[in-house]
Amino acid sequence: MVDVKFPDVGEGVTEGTIVKWLVKEGEEIKADQAVAEIETDKAIVEIPSSEAGKILKLVGKEGDVIKVGSTLASLAVPGETVKKPETGAPEKPTEAKPAEAKLLEEPTEVKPPEVKPQERPAEMPGRALAVPSTRRLARELGVDISKVKGTGPGGRITDEDVRKSTVTEAKVEVPQAPETRKPEAAPVEIAPEIKALEERIPIKGIRKTIGERMVLSLFTAPHVVSMDEADVTELVKLREKEKKMAEEKGIKLTYLAFIVKAVTVALKQHPYLNASLDQKKNEIVLKRYYNIGIAVDTPEGLMVPVIKDADCKSIMELAQVSEKLADEARTRKIKLPDLKGNTFTITNIGSIGGIFSTPIINPPDVAILGIHRIRDMAVVIGGEIKIRKILPIVLSFDHRVLDGAQAARFMNTLIEHLKDPDLLLLDGV
Amino acid sequence: MSVDWLSILDAQGNVDESLEPELDTETLEKFYRTMVLTRMYDDKALKLQRQGRMLTFGSSLGQEATAVGSAFAMKPDDWFFPAFREHGVQIARGIPLSLLYIYWMGSEDANLTLPPKNFPVAIPVSTQVLHAVGAAWAAKLKKQNIASVVYFGDGATSEGDFHEGMNFAGVFKTPTVFICQNNQYAISLPREKQTASKTLAQKALAYGFEGIQVDGNDILAVYSVTLAALEKARSGGGPTMIECFTYRMGSHTTSDDPTRYRQAAEVEEWKKKDPIKRLRIYLEKKGIWDQSREGAMIKEITDEVEKAVKEAESYKPVVENMFKYVYADMPLHLKEQMDELQGFISKRRGDESG
Repeated sequence: MVDVKFPDVGEGVTEGTIVKWLVKEGEEIKADQAVAEIETDKAIVEIPSSEAGKILKLVGKEGDVIKVGSTLASLAVPGETVKKPETGAPEKPTEAKPAEAKLLEEPTEVKPPEVKPQERPAEMPGRALAVPSTRRLARELGVDISKVKGTGPGGRITDEDVRKSTVTEAKVEVPQAPETRKPEAAPVEIAPEIKALEERIPIKGIRKTIGERMVLSLFTAPHVVSMDEADVTELVKLREKEKKMAEEKGIKLTYLAFIVKAVTVALKQHPYLNASLDQKKNEIVLKRYYNIGIAVDTPEGLMVPVIKDADCKSIMELAQVSEKLADEARTRKIKLPDLKGNTFTITNIGSIGGIFSTPIINPPDVAILGIHRIRDMAVVIGGEIKIRKILPIVLSFDHRVLDGAQAARFMNTLIEHLKDPDLLLLDGV
Repeated sequence: MSVDWLSILDAQGNVDESLEPELDTETLEKFYRTMVLTRMYDDKALKLQRQGRMLTFGSSLGQEATAVGSAFAMKPDDWFFPAFREHGVQIARGIPLSLLYIYWMGSEDANLTLPPKNFPVAIPVSTQVLHAVGAAWAAKLKKQNIASVVYFGDGATSEGDFHEGMNFAGVFKTPTVFICQNNQYAISLPREKQTASKTLAQKALAYGFEGIQVDGNDILAVYSVTLAALEKARSGGGPTMIECFTYRMGSHTTSDDPTRYRQAAEVEEWKKKDPIKRLRIYLEKKGIWDQSREGAMIKEITDEVEKAVKEAESYKPVVENMFKYVYADMPLHLKEQMDELQGFISKRRGDESG
C-alpha cells in the first residue's frame, strides 16, 4: 500500500485546505494523476499520486485543513491485495519501539492503515531528521533529539518540536504524569449530541477584518487605559434647550456631536494624541488634520466611519454627519473612503451599557476615547452633596508615543470643555 | 532609432519563404523532438514537485522555441550561461535529463559533471551576464574563435549587473550574445512596468551595439537570429542583444499563483501562439511528420523521462562534492571546512550507532 502525502508545495507552506477531491474511493488511478486540489497560502495546486493503483481511502473531506506531510489518500498498488480498511477508524500513530522499527526494514508485510507502525524516519531511534540549527537547539536545551517526535514535512523535527519536548520531558519528572508525554494532545472528541447543540459561524468579512486589526493593534501597541468622569450637567441642559431647534432643522442633536467637538479642541492643544507611529522610519507623525472615527455597531460587526476635518464643522454639522455615516454603515451603504483616514477614534459604548471599558486603539491612531452612559450621581461640590449628570470616559493610548501625563492633560482639557460647553464657543473653530 | 522584428513561422504554421532557413529534415526533427522533450521534462518536474519528490521549480512551458532554437545555433565550444528557466537549452546542449532532475531535487552534485562550457544555473537575477561577458572577453584575448551566450529574463534588464555587462561588452566588443527571454512577467511584474522603453532590445543601442526583437515562439526565427549573432561575434563583430518575445504559460515557480496577477483571457491568447504546435504544422505540411510518428515519439520520450527520474531518485549525493566543484584545486579554507564537516558527520554516525 502506498500513501499519497501532502508535501510542502511552496517553500515553507505548513498546511492547506482540501478544495476538491479529483478521485473517488475505489477508483483506479494512473501514476501522476491528480488526487486532490489543495489550497495553500500561495495557490491552489493539484497533488498528483506518484504511483498507479486503486484508491482505498481518502483522508478528510472537502474544506478540511491538512498539515504538510500528512497522508491525503492511501492506494493499493497493482499486484497487492489489501484488506479494506475499516471506515471511520482514525489513523493512530503508535509509538515505534525499536523492535517494531526494525520490522519496517522488511517491507513485505502489508498491513491495513490503522495498525500501521509509524513510518516517519524521525520516530526511529538514532535517525532523527532535523536541520543543523534544530540539532543545535536540541543540544543547547539538553534534549535528546532522537526521542523527539517530528511534525514537520516528512517527519522532520522542527524547532517547535524540540521546545515542546523540553516541556514534556520536564513533566515526566513528576510522578504519575506519563500521559502528558505525548507532545500533541489527542483531539477532544465531542459527543454528537453536544455537537448538535453547537453552531459554527465562519469568520469572514468584517468579523475577520476586526479580528486582524485588533490583534495587530493590541499586540504591537502597548496599551494604557486612563479612566475619568466628566460632570456634564451643563451640557445636558444645553442639549435639552437646543434639541427642539435642531429637530426643526431635521437634525438629531446628539451628545456625540458635542464630544467630537470637544475632542478636536483638546486634540489641537495636545497634538501627540492626534498622531501615528511610523515604525519603519522610527518617527511620530503629528497630524494637523482631524478625522474622527466613530465606532458604530452594525449587524455585521463593528464599523468605524470617519468624520473628515471634524474640527472645521459646527456641532450641528457634526450631529448631522455622524448620524448619516452611522446610518450608511448600518445599512452597508457606506463608501470605502468614509471608512478610512482616521486620526483619532471615539467609541460610544455608553449607548448600550457598561460603566468603564478598555477600548483597543484603532490603527493607525495612537489613542481611542470610550464614552459611557450619562447618569445621575451624588457628587461632593464645595462640601455639599449634589446630584449631577456624570459621563464616564476612558482613554486607551499607545505608550510608545504617549505617556500617562500627556494623556491625563488631554483628558483634563476634554473634561473642562464638556463641563463648561460655553468654552466650545470660545475655543471651537 | 528603432529595432528590427523578425518572424518567420507564424502562429498558424505558415512560413515566410523569403526568410525560411535551409534546414534538413533531420535538423527540423531534432528541433521538434527537443522542444517536446523539454515540455515533457518540465511537466514531469512539476508533478514531482507536487508529490514532494523535488524542490521549487520554474517551468519553461511556452518558451521552448526560444530555448531550443537558440541552443541549436550554438556550437559545443561556445560558452553557455543560463538563468534558471533554460531547461530547453540545457537539454539541447546534451546535459543528461537525470542531472537536471538531480539539481532541482537539491543536489549541486549535478553541476559537477556538466559537459564543458555549460555553466550552472544562476538563481540570482542577472549575475550571469557579467560571467558571460568575462568569458567572452577572455576568449577574445586568447584569440579563440568562440562566443558566449547568456540568458536572462525581462526583469534582469533592470538590474545593475545587466547594464555593467552590456556596457563592457559594447566597449570591448566582446563576442557575447545576450538573449533576453522576455516572457512578459518578472514574477508578477508585467513588462510595461519593468521599463518605459518601447522594447527591451533597444537597451543595446544605448551601449553601442545591435539589438533585435524576435518572435520567441518561432523557432525558425530564434534559430536564424542567434546563428547570425554568433557568426558576427566569432568574426569580431562584437555583441548582439536578442529580445525573444515570448510568454510564460505557467507560474513563475511552483511557489507562485499567476491567476492573482494576470487574466485568464491573456493566457488563452498566448495559447494560440504555442511554439510546438506551429512547428508541428510546419513539419506536417512538409510531409515529414504525422500522427503515427508523433505517437511513437511521445512513448519514447515518456520512457526517457521516467528513466531519468529513476536515475535521479536513486542518486546518493556526496557531501564532499559541494566543496570540490567550484575550484580546480581546492583552496585551504574550503579544505578546512570540508574536514570539519567530515569530522562532524563521523562523530554523528558514532553517536547514532552508540
